[in-house]
Amino acid sequence: MMRLVTLAFRAADHAFLEAASMLVPARQRSEWQREWLSEMWHVRRACTQPSGDAGRTECVVMAFCLGAFQDAWCLSRDARHHQGPPAPMHGSAGQCLLWMAAVLVAGYAFAHWQPEVRMARDAQRYPMRSGTILLENQSGEKQVSPTIPFQQFRVWSAGHHRYFDGFAFYRMGRQDVSAGAEAPSRWEVAESSSNLFALLGVPIRFVHAEDSAGIQAPIAILSYRLWKNEFGGDPAIVGSMVSVGGRQTRIAGVAPERAWKLPGRPDAWLLEPDAAIPAGVKGNVLAHLTRAGRAEMWADRVHITVYNPDDTEQDFLGVAFDEPTPTPSEIYRFAVLLGLLALPAITSVSLGQFSVSSHQPPWPKRILRWAYLSAKLLLLLPIANFASLDVAYCHASQHSSASEYAQLSVCFLICLFGFRWALLDQRQRCPVCLRRVAHPAQVGLASRTFLAWNGTELMCTGGHTLLHVPGLPTSWFATQRWLYLDASWDFLFAGPEAG
Amino acid sequence: MAPSANSEPKLSHTAAMILQAIHAGYIYGFSVMEMTGLPSGTVYPAMRRLERDDLIRSHWEKQSIADAEQRPPRKYYRLTAAGKSTLDASRKRYPLLERLIPSEEAKSV
Repeated sequence: MMRLVTLAFRAADHAFLEAASMLVPARQRSEWQREWLSEMWHVRRACTQPSGDAGRTECVVMAFCLGAFQDAWCLSRDARHHQGPPAPMHGSAGQCLLWMAAVLVAGYAFAHWQPEVRMARDAQRYPMRSGTILLENQSGEKQVSPTIPFQQFRVWSAGHHRYFDGFAFYRMGRQDVSAGAEAPSRWEVAESSSNLFALLGVPIRFVHAEDSAGIQAPIAILSYRLWKNEFGGDPAIVGSMVSVGGRQTRIAGVAPERAWKLPGRPDAWLLEPDAAIPAGVKGNVLAHLTRAGRAEMWADRVHITVYNPDDTEQDFLGVAFDEPTPTPSEIYRFAVLLGLLALPAITSVSLGQFSVSSHQPPWPKRILRWAYLSAKLLLLLPIANFASLDVAYCHASQHSSASEYAQLSVCFLICLFGFRWALLDQRQRCPVCLRRVAHPAQVGLASRTFLAWNGTELMCTGGHTLLHVPGLPTSWFATQRWLYLDASWDFLFAGPEAG
Repeated sequence: MAPSANSEPKLSHTAAMILQAIHAGYIYGFSVMEMTGLPSGTVYPAMRRLERDDLIRSHWEKQSIADAEQRPPRKYYRLTAAGKSTLDASRKRYPLLERLIPSEEAKSV
């Protein structure tokens, strides 16, 4: 038992020294460890009790070993002190990442500031439900005034259809609205059937659970613009009562910004039970197509013939307002994929980590190198996204084919050349300190390629490595190789103080 | 930078004790600890600073000597010329230093 305790103490002593040695500068570490191990041996021998009290001996040795941490910390502090001011960041990995982060922030800020870019992103955030059409006259001309009576909508809603699985109704009109003791103001109000937002697939903000279940009395949904301008963006306004056209109505929620893509620019929507809307009023009717209905669409239109009970026919044109265009995020993903596929065509995808000898940097350095590459790529992807959106939508007032192509090409080019730069940069970073190698020197003669090595040598300014890049890849020297410099090179890179 | 005769660095009492111990013949870390009663976390960093200031110098014992005695080699320390002059100045500053750690010459008298 005592022997086991002694072994445990000895293992702990060695672990302490090993842990403390991690604080010691690498160049002093081996000698430091040698001295402390030697001294520990002597301490143990000197303290070994003739009476055989091994526990006391081990406690003394352990107390001795704990002092190694203070010694190691002092050496580490002295080393930092002698390094002088922090090394300049020029060419360092940190500087590179900072620049990329700055570009990303600028791209994001521009995208956030430009209303057109925000609009494109919001359209992506609140896409209309696929297969929703607006019914228009067969003439195909832009509908100026609504022509479908609510009674007709009610008949369509009540029946079962092969091509449709839902209808919604709305009509625009200006109405006097007063909230509390304030003077009434005139709002552009869309009187709608209660299922309007459900059919469109637009989520309502701050909506109450009771309202989401179904409505029994009229409720008002505010537009984001009105909510911001009139109510200062106060969420507490939801639930309060307003008078709309003389009817007391509860505000039930706020529609998302720029979620409305239909004719009219309502300040608010008045969702009413079907029974509350007069049968004779005319408005716009939306319909949602079934799979069979969507199959009948030609481009973004579908011709509809309605057979009435009195054997008359009515022709309508269904126009999809959610054209099946790719969203900015789909374009972005496609461009990134294209960039990745095209990358091997313009550069080698190797990271060039081959070493002249069997020496390899320690694994924390290797992990750091991979982390640096990952950080560059992770920063590059959002930069490509925001920069392409900025370029594509900075002049386009709305979503168009031109803006789609612009986004695709800009994003593709940034990804392609950005990935290429990330790899080239990685290949020229010292594996030890991640600084860019510098001072290129041409070595050898190109005319003697098959007799002797020729190429370019670059040097790490920190004195860690030399990079050999062959002028002409040969079977015996095909890729760049790193030569790790030992301590004998230190005098070349020592600062003026050391001289 | 080596201190000149006119500008010896003013040592702390601990550093002066260690210098005096080395001068007195306690020439490796553990013997300095035993002589001064200071813990390892004080003695070794202080000796590194003294060596950095060129007041003491270290060297490793020959491996053959250690092998003959079946023990690991030790790292020995000795005073430099600058260290001796600094110690002289410290003795004036700390008069009891020599009585705390008598040197070999003093012991033999």
